[in-house]
Amino acid sequence: MQNAKDSFYMALRSRLATINPERTTLLRGAVRPGILVEEAEAPFSQLPGDVFILRWQGLGVDMDLGSTMTAEECEILYQTCGTQSFGGLDRGRALSQMDEELVAMLSPFFTPKLNYTATPPAAMMTQVFWDEPGLGPIAVQRDRLSRSAKVTVYSYQEQGE
Amino acid sequence: MAANWFSAPAPVARRVRAYFAPVNRAAQTPVLFDPAEQGGFSLDAPPAPWISLGWIQEFTRKPGSKTSAVLSGIPAGTLEQVRQTLEAQVSFQFLSWTKLTMALATGSQHMNLLAPAGGAVPAANGAQATTAVTPQNGSSATSILLATADAAKFTAGTIIALDADYTGQTGFVGAPVAGAYVRQALTDVDYIRRVTFNVALVSQVNSTGLTLAEPLLGGIPPVGAKLQAITGFVDREGGSFYQEWSALFVMEGSQGEPNFLSLPPATDNDGSGRSGNPFKRQESGRTLASAAQGAVSGASGN
Repeated sequence: MQNAKDSFYMALRSRLATINPERTTLLRGAVRPGILVEEAEAPFSQLPGDVFILRWQGLGVDMDLGSTMTAEECEILYQTCGTQSFGGLDRGRALSQMDEELVAMLSPFFTPKLNYTATPPAAMMTQVFWDEPGLGPIAVQRDRLSRSAKVTVYSYQEQGE
Repeated sequence: MAANWFSAPAPVARRVRAYFAPVNRAAQTPVLFDPAEQGGFSLDAPPAPWISLGWIQEFTRKPGSKTSAVLSGIPAGTLEQVRQTLEAQVSFQFLSWTKLTMALATGSQHMNLLAPAGGAVPAANGAQATTAVTPQNGSSATSILLATADAAKFTAGTIIALDADYTGQTGFVGAPVAGAYVRQALTDVDYIRRVTFNVALVSQVNSTGLTLAEPLLGGIPPVGAKLQAITGFVDREGGSFYQEWSALFVMEGSQGEPNFLSLPPATDNDGSGRSGNPFKRQESGRTLASAAQGAVSGASGN
């Protein structure tokens, strides 16, 4: 299951770097594409803005198949206050841009499954695939706009996993 | 970590895409799809002459073939089983409308409403049209070169029809897709452009011609072709002309594998498409195949 989660995150991360190379974040001293996995970072007192945050939630397993299939629910959170140069008045536009980037990142709806514990990452036999996102309404907290999207990510368990 | 069973199955094939290829109506020659040679194509770039109809929904396939028993003996017992008829139906809904999808959904003759000439007498299928203009040499499928005065007659956002003048011929007319069957000679010089599928949206106009948003189905304008502006489309209820096309459906598997359903000749199912969707293949020659890495559920192609 971890390989599927890693593959999903890395697929989105590499796609984001192509879609909007300027969306970056400084994390642990390194500039990276503006997407991170919440459970793989130190706990946040406040979620960072202008960054996509992947939060893994529900899990389902279908063991009746030849290869066990897992369905992992991923919530993708993002929020923005707009830019300082516009005094935050562009926060709606900034969120729309993140909406568009999210939709673009999720297409196509599959990616090869890789084992990232190996160096270089080892290709596996199956692909990780997912549904269209369920986008939630905009939440407003003072000058901060946020949205979350939920995606169910499917994968087959392979030998050795 | 708690693990739960989930009742909803994962999408084996989460969506279906439809493709169109014209049937040569005069020669009754459909376009065949060879999954062995062509099965690896990118869904966004189908091999010629296939044209994407976009993603579709509510795709269902229903076999209509019938078999019967040959009885022998007293009392009669089944000696053999024979095939009586060969037929299959698929139904689906288009997610977007284009000239092609509208025509295929309605199933019958589908006409272009040519922009009317000033003061023309109203007519059900379009009044007398403005004079057609001739593309100049060097035009392509996406760029129509015109004389400056002709280019000034068009604006961005206009839909154009490009095809030959009607010169009194009978039989199937329109290229590359037959748009009508003419039984008796007509007098309308614009008739072929009224029924042609060779239409496109103008995205840009300048003094040298038009830039089209999508390539014309017919490719480079042939010698003798002319173009006119379209103001809309209309289909004929009760017409005796049926659209016939080669259909290809691709189910995108979860592991990236394509599943193909190819219907070389397909036509509307008794006009029921007018309510939105279905069509029926009338001829035999069902082809159902899968690419090397694909899996076909319930494949029963012959």
